[in-house]
Amino acid sequence: MSSTTTTPDRTGAPGPATADGGSARSAWALVARREIVVRLTDKAFLGGTAFTLVLICGYLGWQVWDSSRTDSYTVAVTAADRSMGDRLVQGAPESGQDVEVALDPVADADAARAAVRAGDADAWLHPGEGGWVLTTLDSEEDTLAGVTREVVRSTVLEQQATRLGTTATALEQGTTVTPQLLEGDAEQAQIARAGSFVFAFLFYIATLTFGYVIANSVVEEKQSRIVEIIATAIPVRQLLAGKVVGTSVIAILQMLLYAAVGLVGLSFTPYSDVLGAVSGPVAWFLAFFVGGFVALAALWAVAGALASRAEDVQSTGTPLIMIVLGVFFAGFLVDGPARVVLSFVPPFSTVVMPARVLEGTATWWQAVLALVLLLAAAGLVLYVAERLYRRSLLQTGGRLSIRQAWSTPE
Amino acid sequence: MLEIEGLTRRFGDTTAVDDVSFEVREGMLTGFVGGNGAGKTTTMRMVMGVLGIDAGEVRWAGRPVTPQDQRRFGYMPEERGLYPKQRVLDQLVYLARLRGMADASAREAAERHLERFGLADRATERLQALSLGNQQRVQIVAALLHGPTALVLDEPFSGLDPVAVDAMADVLREHAAAGVPVLFSSHQLDLVERLCDRLVILAAGRVVAVGDADELRARGPLRYRVVLDADTGWLRDVRGVHVVDVDGPTALVEVVDDGAEQVVLREAAARGTVREFTPVRPALADIYREVAAR
Repeated sequence: MSSTTTTPDRTGAPGPATADGGSARSAWALVARREIVVRLTDKAFLGGTAFTLVLICGYLGWQVWDSSRTDSYTVAVTAADRSMGDRLVQGAPESGQDVEVALDPVADADAARAAVRAGDADAWLHPGEGGWVLTTLDSEEDTLAGVTREVVRSTVLEQQATRLGTTATALEQGTTVTPQLLEGDAEQAQIARAGSFVFAFLFYIATLTFGYVIANSVVEEKQSRIVEIIATAIPVRQLLAGKVVGTSVIAILQMLLYAAVGLVGLSFTPYSDVLGAVSGPVAWFLAFFVGGFVALAALWAVAGALASRAEDVQSTGTPLIMIVLGVFFAGFLVDGPARVVLSFVPPFSTVVMPARVLEGTATWWQAVLALVLLLAAAGLVLYVAERLYRRSLLQTGGRLSIRQAWSTPE
Repeated sequence: MLEIEGLTRRFGDTTAVDDVSFEVREGMLTGFVGGNGAGKTTTMRMVMGVLGIDAGEVRWAGRPVTPQDQRRFGYMPEERGLYPKQRVLDQLVYLARLRGMADASAREAAERHLERFGLADRATERLQALSLGNQQRVQIVAALLHGPTALVLDEPFSGLDPVAVDAMADVLREHAAAGVPVLFSSHQLDLVERLCDRLVILAAGRVVAVGDADELRARGPLRYRVVLDADTGWLRDVRGVHVVDVDGPTALVEVVDDGAEQVVLREAAARGTVREFTPVRPALADIYREVAAR
């Protein structure tokens, strides 16, 4: 505290700063760096990321476990139906459903019912009116029923074919129906649907959570008034740019981490053949993600600047939540020509166009055009956001409307 | 030298700052005094470039001030604020770097200043863990850290304990002595009187008085305290003076016509023993009330 113990030139040290560490023009890098460091040292953020990773790994792990396990059933049969029971035991492992069947020989129908009631058997297989019946206790065993249906059908078919002096194969000849698409193929379409849903969901989660992160980081500076000190040090544009860049970097890193863990995990599951189909369009996803995210991040920064207290963000951010939800649902609800149109309209193009690329219904130049439009829109948004941000940032007297912020004098 | 020329700022129909002009000279502590709503904060925010100017100009070193100039100023806004959740040293380094310092020198300067304000052992704590007084000290460090070319401080003494007030005063004097123009506002007139080389008094958005303390006092009424052996009631009949107060042998007279105090002195001496005849220097607070009310 005492100034007498130290000499002025070692303490108060008026005079020029010893070194010039950078011009105001590169200040955005400092701001971005701080945003990243703050986020990476935030326990809540790290905890949330770790929790999500655990969820992803858990889900994929369950998939792996689920696909490798074999369901075992015990089926009660009377001596009279033993031969069909044996066919079921033989046929179950060949069904491709990972099902194993063991027989529980019972004396009669009553004993069979008792065995099912007691839980000694999962089901009782017996002939019924014009076919076979699989009796279970209180819920249908879908997997077992499916396998049984298949086995019974082929067994009976064979028996009847033999009786008619022909074979089951001959009887079934020409009865298969194979679905075929004019555009793409069925598997591709399914992958595209799943892939674009996952992407739309990731985009939704990222723009919502990081939207609040960026809005709160803006309002924190406003509420704590430090923004007035910062505004005398660097242009407000630099502050906005730094925030958007820093948050975008963190958001994209987090999404890449999730995607990487998800894809690596996926390769251990039975769906590993999907990987090849997805890996190409991932680059498109990333490009559209960056463009869409930056535009929305800038708008979230404005939502923060329009607020004066953290509580206000709830209301200033509402229009943005609508946009984010709209983009999310447009990703998989809109069909037909509207979908083609939306795939060029920012911000919907962010999720719709990569989905169309994945489906194989969009050409590369359409994707490039949509991306150019998205980036142009992002640029326009940044310009508008900068003006709104600059004009509302130093207004601390309550919540501002967009109109007020636009026309307020500096 | 920081020159403020004809600064004007309107908010809607009210003119918060109306044609304000004054200078903040190198090597001088300039005190900025005025009541609530007089326009001090608005003026300082315009000087720092965080508020638009409707008319007038801020000049630095003889030319219009630029954002690059303002970047090197030290500023303490009226409403304090730093990052509550960030560690003290980290945010000081960050703020210094925003003003163009290199990382190493920013760190070194931050540690040096924290030491000076007795906060060296709190450097790695989060700001919100510090008492309000200590947060205030960190705020001061934030304004001084980068070796400012000018200081613009809005109420730098508010919220400080006496020890910190002394430290702050030392810091201001040192900066002034090193040739840095220092402008600070305060409500504590005694402190301003003790510290300042120059005063700028603002009332209702206008400059009502500028000068050093003696000059300002000279603007005040010239008064004499008269103590006699006998009753002083006769003073009421003396021409050229106005009797402010009479209490038996003691009176306070204000000189209306030049030289009238000599008439009073001769008359008093003729009537008996003069125990006391002293000019009364008006307190700055009185001057302030006087000019602010005008």
